[in-house]
Amino acid sequence: MSSTAIALLLTLAPLAAFVLALVVFPRQRRVASATVVGAGALSLGGALWLLRAGPMDAPQLWPWFGAERGTMAFGLLLDGPNLLFGAVVALVALAVMVYSLGYMAGDRGWSRYFALLALFAWSMLSFVYAANLLQMFIFWELVGLASFLLIGFWYEKPAAAAAARKAFIMTRIGDVGLMIGMILLFNATGTLDVRELSSPQLLGQIPQARLALIALLFFAGVVGKSAQFPLHTWLPDAMEGPTPVSALLHSATMVAAGVYLFARFHPLFLAVHYVGQIVLGVALGTALLAATMALVERDIKRVLAYSSISQLGFMLVGLAVGSLHAGLFHLVTHAFFKALLFLCAGAYIHHYGSNDLVVLGRAGGRTQRWTTLGLIVGAGALAGLPPLAGFFSKEAVLAALAEHQPLPVVALAYLCSFLTAYYSFRMVFLIVRPNPGSAAVAPAAAEHDHHAPSATHAGGERAMLGPIIVLTALAAVAGLGGAYIGRMAGVTPEHPHTLGMALAIAVALAGVGLAWLEFGRRGAAQLGFVARVPALQTLFERRWYIDAFYAAVVGRLLDGVSRLCARVEARGLDASVDGMARGTVAGGRAASDVQGGRLQVYIGASVLLLAVACYLVGAL
Amino acid sequence: MNDEEAMVMDRVPLLSAIVLSPLLALLVVVALPGRCARAIKIVSTLSGLLTVALALLLWVRFDPTGPRYQFVERVAWIPSFGVSYHLGVDGIGVLMTLLNAIVFFTGCLSMSTLQERVKEYFAFMLMLVIGVFGVFASLDLFFFFFFYEVALLPMYPLIAIWGSTRKEYAAMKLTLFLLAGSALLFPALLSLYWTAGGTTWSLPELAAFAFPERYQLVLYPFIYVGFGVLAGMFPFHGWSPTGHVAAPTAVSMLHAGVLMKLGAFGILRVGIELLPLGARYWAGPFAVLATVNIVYGALVALQQRDFKFVIGFSSVSHMGIVLLGLNLLTPDGLNGAVLQMFAHGVMTALFFSAVGFIYDQAHCRDIDAFGGLARQVPIASAFFIVAGLCGMGVPGFASFWAELLVFIGAVQRFPALGVLAIVALIVSALFMLRVFRQAFFGPANPRWAALREITPWLATPRVLLVAVLLVFGFFPGLALDLIRGSTAVLVGSR
Repeated sequence: MSSTAIALLLTLAPLAAFVLALVVFPRQRRVASATVVGAGALSLGGALWLLRAGPMDAPQLWPWFGAERGTMAFGLLLDGPNLLFGAVVALVALAVMVYSLGYMAGDRGWSRYFALLALFAWSMLSFVYAANLLQMFIFWELVGLASFLLIGFWYEKPAAAAAARKAFIMTRIGDVGLMIGMILLFNATGTLDVRELSSPQLLGQIPQARLALIALLFFAGVVGKSAQFPLHTWLPDAMEGPTPVSALLHSATMVAAGVYLFARFHPLFLAVHYVGQIVLGVALGTALLAATMALVERDIKRVLAYSSISQLGFMLVGLAVGSLHAGLFHLVTHAFFKALLFLCAGAYIHHYGSNDLVVLGRAGGRTQRWTTLGLIVGAGALAGLPPLAGFFSKEAVLAALAEHQPLPVVALAYLCSFLTAYYSFRMVFLIVRPNPGSAAVAPAAAEHDHHAPSATHAGGERAMLGPIIVLTALAAVAGLGGAYIGRMAGVTPEHPHTLGMALAIAVALAGVGLAWLEFGRRGAAQLGFVARVPALQTLFERRWYIDAFYAAVVGRLLDGVSRLCARVEARGLDASVDGMARGTVAGGRAASDVQGGRLQVYIGASVLLLAVACYLVGAL
Repeated sequence: MNDEEAMVMDRVPLLSAIVLSPLLALLVVVALPGRCARAIKIVSTLSGLLTVALALLLWVRFDPTGPRYQFVERVAWIPSFGVSYHLGVDGIGVLMTLLNAIVFFTGCLSMSTLQERVKEYFAFMLMLVIGVFGVFASLDLFFFFFFYEVALLPMYPLIAIWGSTRKEYAAMKLTLFLLAGSALLFPALLSLYWTAGGTTWSLPELAAFAFPERYQLVLYPFIYVGFGVLAGMFPFHGWSPTGHVAAPTAVSMLHAGVLMKLGAFGILRVGIELLPLGARYWAGPFAVLATVNIVYGALVALQQRDFKFVIGFSSVSHMGIVLLGLNLLTPDGLNGAVLQMFAHGVMTALFFSAVGFIYDQAHCRDIDAFGGLARQVPIASAFFIVAGLCGMGVPGFASFWAELLVFIGAVQRFPALGVLAIVALIVSALFMLRVFRQAFFGPANPRWAALREITPWLATPRVLLVAVLLVFGFFPGLALDLIRGSTAVLVGSR
């Protein structure tokens, strides 16, 4: 089979599985999930085969529909970055599908759940292999739709329904920017082909100001999808969805789509200097902001969500200073170790029925051997400890940054690195080394995201271990793939600086060390350093009051405007029409009085008319 | 099929068959005694099915590369007055005919549970449908207007008798608005006839006549506003949400799905085609009003508590996209507008049939009174949710392409209006998701525990509508290839 046929097959298999699971086999639960997992395996097989076959230069195109400016083609592009990200997506997707067989056991929405996973896999893979921007946009939106439906999977929970809506709206705000940017770019160049749009000659023909505007509008889309400031608020709430969904969509693949879009259109973003600076500022700011929120969070999924926001910012930092290699490398390693961390979190939540770190620790979280091993490896990778995956990719980002930016900016990135190491191991120590005597208070009610622990879990938990073990291995060794990723992306990786590397290790160890002092060592009080400054603690816990600001100001403003419009509609337009109708009726009544049969009126009117007539005749 | 067969086929007056087959059904329905409710429903539904089949045949046999008007039939009617029975369709007409047939058929299926005055109901509905088919197929301005009024008149009894929620008020308001529109149109159309020499009502012949520029500038607003009232143009849209709310399910479907399209179709066929200079002159102000439609409609929808009012105001917003597209006078704009006419027609039909199903059982449409419907009636809820996603412009549904084309054109021609219209997508998402969350998600409200799930028979028409939205959503070329030739003529250099 040709590469094209395989690419078509691997994108369409999940679509077929979606239809089968949702429409044909909704009652046959086992058949539905088997179909979806089978399609996931097929996709992974295809993606790996393509990866091994290597990049193809020319996109494969089929005519799709005729438009005024030529024929729109539906196409698949199989170049290096696509093949790489496609394989990562397919791998994590399959891992999550298998894991879900255990995690979702007994859920009444089983078939719908697997169908939605398939819907996501189809749209995500189609997004990755798309050959033109319009196709990318369509699947970008469909990925968002799958995310909406999966966050709201337990739609009866008001929190889940609210989170789904918030995610849709916040990403929609970014998507509106992307859509305007796409239209402007299309109007300026007359093409939507991804490869043509990367050519510097073509971009060079667009005036600088217009190009900067387009790039910033594209960035709005990235900000929405990859949960960067100021649209980041949806991602922590999205944790209301099932944990495997958080692993697949809200850490490893979907949120990385924004970063990936950035990488795809790298020349566009870097064509104007100050656009790169703005992106760098937003990304680095977001990385720090999210890290501070993770310092004080006790919900394990939310810690991971904040860390996703922060790490996505880190990827964008790498890309913004011009290193395609660093950005893509960190994207790949992050997909592995963050998916792993979420799957571990899910295993704890599933077993102990709580999201709270302190509760999980005291309930004996560390007795789950494989899960705890995965947690430690994942946290180590996240913290950037050698020789785990995150160390190499984060090092690449820091090296690229140090090469291009002044010292204060670099220092901020190292600070972020330090905070990351600290909160990762805070999480690990809270679970692995619980201190019953610590000051931390258990929450009043343990909340679990779907069902109470029961005996039937034991069978399911075996299905969950496999993916954890595979991802543990990948999170441990994926850092060795840096050179390979550079080759696939068609760029040469930066040479690591010995000094920079040493500094990165020192910073990471310092973060881990501080976490050990405060949370790990025997008899630790398990109170973070932030808690010593109550104002700061509150600021971080309330997420810098950003959500509150949106609700109080933006929400209220919009509500006011729409209320005003509704009032104009009811009291203005409608009332004036009703008034006119009433006026007509009243006028008719008054007029009918004239012919009421009273002689006096008739004679009076006749005399009056006669007088007017005489006057007019006289005037003439 | 060989040539001989093709010639025989050509001699079958396909358009007359489409316009007049509901008339046959109407005669049968009138002849049947009122107690044969079942037979009346079957006759009407079969007539709907027949028109769908004929419209599909029309679609297949229409040659987008051939002459502009095809399937032309012409019989002199009142020669001294220049009136002839003159039918013919271009690509736009074919697409609209298909839309009307689909909505008519699915509307009949959705009303299969009607109990009250079945005979009169279906008689009026068939009359409405005949009028709509007639407008889409008429190439004679006189008949165009005649069919137009035939389509409008049954609305009053349909709403006032079978409606709900202030039905007499709504019916009267609707009638007054639409008659006011017609009052603008009638003298304007007469004036067109006399100015062009007073010998012909034929639209192609009138289009060939170059009306003086000053005349066009003066007359165009009469035509635009006259038809625009029916298309729900701001600030004359007030009749439409109240009308939607009061009307029974199938009437809402036809009303929002098809009837409002007559207005846009009239602007296209009479306004833009006969008075191109007037259209160009007034494009700016009318585009501004259309953008007000889009933004204002969405903002008002955000405050509504009645399901049907939300859909009604979202229709105001979506018809704004049609009107904006029309005023761009570019190929992208017109293609988008026509596609939106089709997509919005199918989508609103789905909306109203989905809400109608819930209302028929619950006798309540207050969004806040529901909750967790997705648990109680998952399949019936899914239809509403699909329509909602389509309304939010999610790709994969036909309306995505329509909106995209209009936006592409608008950003080019009126950048500020284009950007505003795109930003309104956020508000669309807000009001639609609010309904999802309030009524369909959240904990199930025990008050509605007795709701029964939709039967396969009643689900059929809804599934058909969803299928149409998806087919055109993934293969927009099906519609674009049909209409491109016709819209290109309209914005041509004439």
